[in-house]
Amino acid sequence: MLKEKEVIIIGGGAAGLAAAVTCQEKGIKDILIIERNAFLGGILNQCIHDGFGLEKFSTSLTGPEYAQRYIDQVKEKKIPFLLNSMVINLNSRKEILVANRTGLQHYRAKVIILAMGCRERTRGAISIPGTRPAGIYTAGVAQELINLKNYMVGRKIVILGSGDIGMIMARRLTLEGAEVVLVAEKLPYSSGLPRNINQCLYDFDIPLLLSHTVVDIKGNGRISEVTLAQLGKRGGIIPKSKRKVPCDTLLLSVGLIPENELSRQAEVVLSNITGGPEVDERGQTNVPGIFACGNVLQVHDIVDNVSLEAEYITEGVIDYLQGRSQEPREFQITLGAGLRYVVPQRILTVKNTIFSFRVNQPGIKKTLVFEEDRKIIKKKLFPRVNPAEMLRVKLSSEELKDVKRLKVRLV
Amino acid sequence: MNREFVCIVCPNSCQIKVEYEGEKIIDIKGAQCSKGEDFVRNEITNPLRVFTGSIKVTKGNFDLVSVKTPSPIPKKYLKKVGKITHRIKVEAPVTIGQVVAKNLLGKNIELVATRKAKRKNIS
Repeated sequence: MLKEKEVIIIGGGAAGLAAAVTCQEKGIKDILIIERNAFLGGILNQCIHDGFGLEKFSTSLTGPEYAQRYIDQVKEKKIPFLLNSMVINLNSRKEILVANRTGLQHYRAKVIILAMGCRERTRGAISIPGTRPAGIYTAGVAQELINLKNYMVGRKIVILGSGDIGMIMARRLTLEGAEVVLVAEKLPYSSGLPRNINQCLYDFDIPLLLSHTVVDIKGNGRISEVTLAQLGKRGGIIPKSKRKVPCDTLLLSVGLIPENELSRQAEVVLSNITGGPEVDERGQTNVPGIFACGNVLQVHDIVDNVSLEAEYITEGVIDYLQGRSQEPREFQITLGAGLRYVVPQRILTVKNTIFSFRVNQPGIKKTLVFEEDRKIIKKKLFPRVNPAEMLRVKLSSEELKDVKRLKVRLV
Repeated sequence: MNREFVCIVCPNSCQIKVEYEGEKIIDIKGAQCSKGEDFVRNEITNPLRVFTGSIKVTKGNFDLVSVKTPSPIPKKYLKKVGKITHRIKVEAPVTIGQVVAKNLLGKNIELVATRKAKRKNIS
């Protein structure tokens, strides 16, 4: 039997919860959240460190506390949710097949909000040679094992990649009594937030080796050592720099990829730079009525921005449900050197619009210049830019009114 | 003495330059808010951090609940508190904010739960 819903949200993490709460506040009554885990809150539950919610709630919360604020609202508003339920198919007619203990269930919704989050890149994705022993984890999996499952992953640890989760795990493992030998980063700068380098590594005298990577893994049964090498200016291995580092565990914190298997099934067009859907100014994909927000759209560094993005796209959901027409509008956005991507990729209606960017490399005193045919529309100065930190700039409907070919440069 | 700090209070990660003698600040630059200046003042005299970790929960629907110190504690106690958390247990149900340990290390350090745990259904 096909059950009809107004809005179905796939994923009950930070993005899905904020989207659900905001949809309900805007008058949508028939909402369903589908969550594959046994609890709501997603990855926030294992992020037990603090520092969340500074923008959204003006206080520093741990991940579980941040999640609970939304879970409480979902329960207060009596928004229905399914737990232990996996969406195994989604199509462009917005029909969903869900598998759980009761069997298979069919749903159809007027609006689907994709909020599935992201996955970690694995050893396979970065092709480290060597044997295939036990003891190699992605940082997030280690975080789940230690913080939720009460399973200690190892005693002598090397971390490859200086993403935020990797650094947070360096501190966590140290506080649990393990020895974190070093954190190696392939790039000449860290891929995480500067404050995490300080409070997670330097506070515990854990060395951060920039322009270094793991080039070999050894171990019979369990990992016993890695070979570390320094990288030259062009990224090649400096042979003389190779050295062996004994360890019993290797953690990988080498990037996140939006989880879009379902989006592909529904013929949603994905960006090959962000890994997430290409969307309009309110998160709508090329499939009318399918929206995306949070890490499935673009990997965020701060959860507050995930919640804000989820709230923001619900305006588009309301417009769609009320049948407000969206005349296809001629609009193109191009990026100058130094900028890796922009979200949204297109604009259908003129609205106040938040653009998110990531830069290619760190810099000091950089200005984002928005222009059309050399006419400057807006400028915004950033005291410091960093690939680890998303830049967000709002352009008003007034500023965007007659723009057809927007060019954005970083100078 | 001149030193540079990266503020850890918020994701802005302000780079704060400070000139000081002993505990007296002569000049401070680069903080976007007053919390940053307070942070540096503490860093010079007595660096403070919030401890976060997890403890075992018995009879609960989870194996662990996460915990934190409700206010920052001296940085030098972090590892010691981490060790103690291995031995602390709490019985479900647990609510957010519930005090699960008191006066750790004899230093008036408290731990509060940051996640709910329900009593496990015995069926």
